[in-house]
Amino acid sequence: MKTVDAKIIVDRVTKQFDAGDPERDLALKDVSLAIADRQFVSIVGRSGCGKTTLLNMIAGLLHPSQGEIRVNGVPVTAPGPERGMVFQQSALFPWMTAIDNIEFGPKNQGVDKVTRRQQAQDLIELVRLRGFEHKYPRELSGGMQQRVAIARALANDPDILLMDEPFGALDELTRSEMQQELLRIWQARQKTVVFVTHSISEALFLSDRVIVLSPHPGRLRADIAVPLPRPRKRTDPAFMALYEEIHSAIF
Amino acid sequence: MNAQRWQHGLWVSWLGVIVVLIVWQAVNSFEIVNPRIFPGPVSVLETALTRFPLETLLGHISASLMRVAAGFALGAGLGITLGILAGWYRIFGKMLWGPIEILRPIPPLAWIPIALIWFGLGESSKIFIIFLGAFFPIITNTYKGMATIDPMLIRAAQTMGVRGLKMLAQIAIPAALPDIAIGIRVGWSLSFGSLVAAEILAAQEGLGYMIMYARELGEINVIVYGIILIGVLNLATDFLIYEFLFKRRLRWHFGQR
Amino acid sequence: MRSSEGIPGGAARPTRRARRRIPDWLYGLGTVAALLALWEFASVQGWLGTHQLPPPSKLAGTFQQLLERGFPRGLTADVHIWATLWRIIRGYALATTLALPLGILIGASPLLDRATAPVITFARSVATISLLPLAVAWFGVGEETRIFLITYACFWIILTSVVDAVKGVPAVYIRAAETLGASRRQIFFQVMLPASLPRIFAGMRVALGVAFLVIVAVEMIGTVTGLGALIMEARTFYRSDIAVVGMIFIAIIGFAIAKVLDIAERLLLPWASSLDEVQR
Repeated sequence: MKTVDAKIIVDRVTKQFDAGDPERDLALKDVSLAIADRQFVSIVGRSGCGKTTLLNMIAGLLHPSQGEIRVNGVPVTAPGPERGMVFQQSALFPWMTAIDNIEFGPKNQGVDKVTRRQQAQDLIELVRLRGFEHKYPRELSGGMQQRVAIARALANDPDILLMDEPFGALDELTRSEMQQELLRIWQARQKTVVFVTHSISEALFLSDRVIVLSPHPGRLRADIAVPLPRPRKRTDPAFMALYEEIHSAIF
Repeated sequence: MNAQRWQHGLWVSWLGVIVVLIVWQAVNSFEIVNPRIFPGPVSVLETALTRFPLETLLGHISASLMRVAAGFALGAGLGITLGILAGWYRIFGKMLWGPIEILRPIPPLAWIPIALIWFGLGESSKIFIIFLGAFFPIITNTYKGMATIDPMLIRAAQTMGVRGLKMLAQIAIPAALPDIAIGIRVGWSLSFGSLVAAEILAAQEGLGYMIMYARELGEINVIVYGIILIGVLNLATDFLIYEFLFKRRLRWHFGQR
Repeated sequence: MRSSEGIPGGAARPTRRARRRIPDWLYGLGTVAALLALWEFASVQGWLGTHQLPPPSKLAGTFQQLLERGFPRGLTADVHIWATLWRIIRGYALATTLALPLGILIGASPLLDRATAPVITFARSVATISLLPLAVAWFGVGEETRIFLITYACFWIILTSVVDAVKGVPAVYIRAAETLGASRRQIFFQVMLPASLPRIFAGMRVALGVAFLVIVAVEMIGTVTGLGALIMEARTFYRSDIAVVGMIFIAIIGFAIAKVLDIAERLLLPWASSLDEVQR
């Protein structure tokens, strides 16, 4: 893939913290990768490999100590609505209803009331939460909260969706349901997705490409393409072979 | 880089204090407020160092501290004991809850007239007020601590054959300790406040008395000095409780991750 | 001063199925009734001096006297209650108006927070009552002194609560808002402030409780109106029955204030409990 086509370019990024802990301070060292438009890329690795740090830098919440991250050719300096983010703890604003949460981004971008309400309603439909739009987050289950979180991130119509272990707090059944939901939404909306997860199986189920980072310091260990047609079966031999490959890259 | 950040934090705090002191002294020196009723930090410091012989000062301080200690000990002893019993024996707890809820909203100082009638003008009435200050927060928090013990802990212990009083002593009470500690901290601060008030209203010795007497003599410096001294004592004792009770003994609950 | 918590069950003891569900509050009520009866009985039998602790029967009469004739002559119960409440309202309102904006400012600025922290910690440790002689020197024995003391006590409590509340807003909410394209100003008003409200409210409840505590003490000097003054006057005239009835009034008002705050919180912040789940 030509780098000039790439949606997201991570260019020799190093991240150094200084919390006084030499082992954890060098979070990422000289990481480079390119992600194409509308690609679904997962980042996996053991705890401490820097995958969340990398995601936060693409989001613009953190800055590289060295190197640069470019989106659409432009260096990332701050967070913004064109890079929507979904967090593990949903981070829905508890004092707003589901639909108010979704409207938050557009409202602050100056979109008028009628338009944004309509758009939010469409997103509610997309994530299949019709009837729940006026509920408060605490009245929704974990899976539902994450659906709202995804809808909220999509409300600004970002090109890129950054997801930080969004299904990590869900039980296995809900989690697998949400994985399918996410694929459906992705195929409907055609976004570039960068998805951080602990689960190799989840990464393989969802992505076009799996990036493996190794910890201490965080480095690019492997970049594995997943050319399997979707929907994928975990029992498929090709799936299992890739699983082994990724597993041995991590351990 | 690390040391730099630390310094950045600390000197800002010192700067804040210095600014306040400068403004304080300025208000006094430039007579923005009548200096006879608003002494500057310098003159208060001077008074602090020269006005009282050390033994008189220590006399006041120890009189006050002994009162609080006595009242607090009673309040804590009774409060913790009853709180544990009320939390463990549900029926007792529900029965006790009524009178406690009714008496609790009454501020300790409101009891002064009754206390004086019951105990006369001596030490007991003051100790009673201080006792009340400590008692209610402590019993409330102890009860809450006992009542909100994670049932999982109990069940786990049961599967290991723990029963009855052993359960109470080895599982329930330790589990309730964080809340009890909170009660102790609040109770102490309330006791301290009640002490000062009680001394201001009726005493012959102690820090509150020192302030009141200074007022009669018109010694504004001593009043300010006394106020600051009480504040410092309050801060110091609270710090001790926090350090030793919360951060050390109860590190397993309140400690940093 | 907190409102009554729900009666906890002894989760520690194995539950036994009750044959009849006796509501918890009935136990409390029953005990109180039993104690009152015992009290009356002891008084009638002469075990308790009627001066030491006047029996409920006498107190009922005193209650009525206080409502009708008043004590001292002409100052009925409602006058006292209102005097106390009005002082609390003024002091509390003043403290809130000063502490809220200041607290938000300090909470939102790490520099200001560090600069003011030692001063605030100290000022908060000063026993409000110890300021009484100083306040008298400054403002005399009038209402200003009393209002000043209430304001002082409430101010520091509200201030520290607001600062802690603002500082304690979970960082993930801010991050989420940033990735949704909100500006600093939008984040401040639409995220930080609502997220701080529950803790601010909790602090304001504590402050109200403390206001109540302080006012009763403060009214004992220099005034004849107010519940604190009432019980002090009662003592001067050896009317222990009035002192006790006064205390009962204080208890009732205190309880009522706590209940009102409970309801206010539930109405204004129906979403509040979920905030705890995100705190990590």
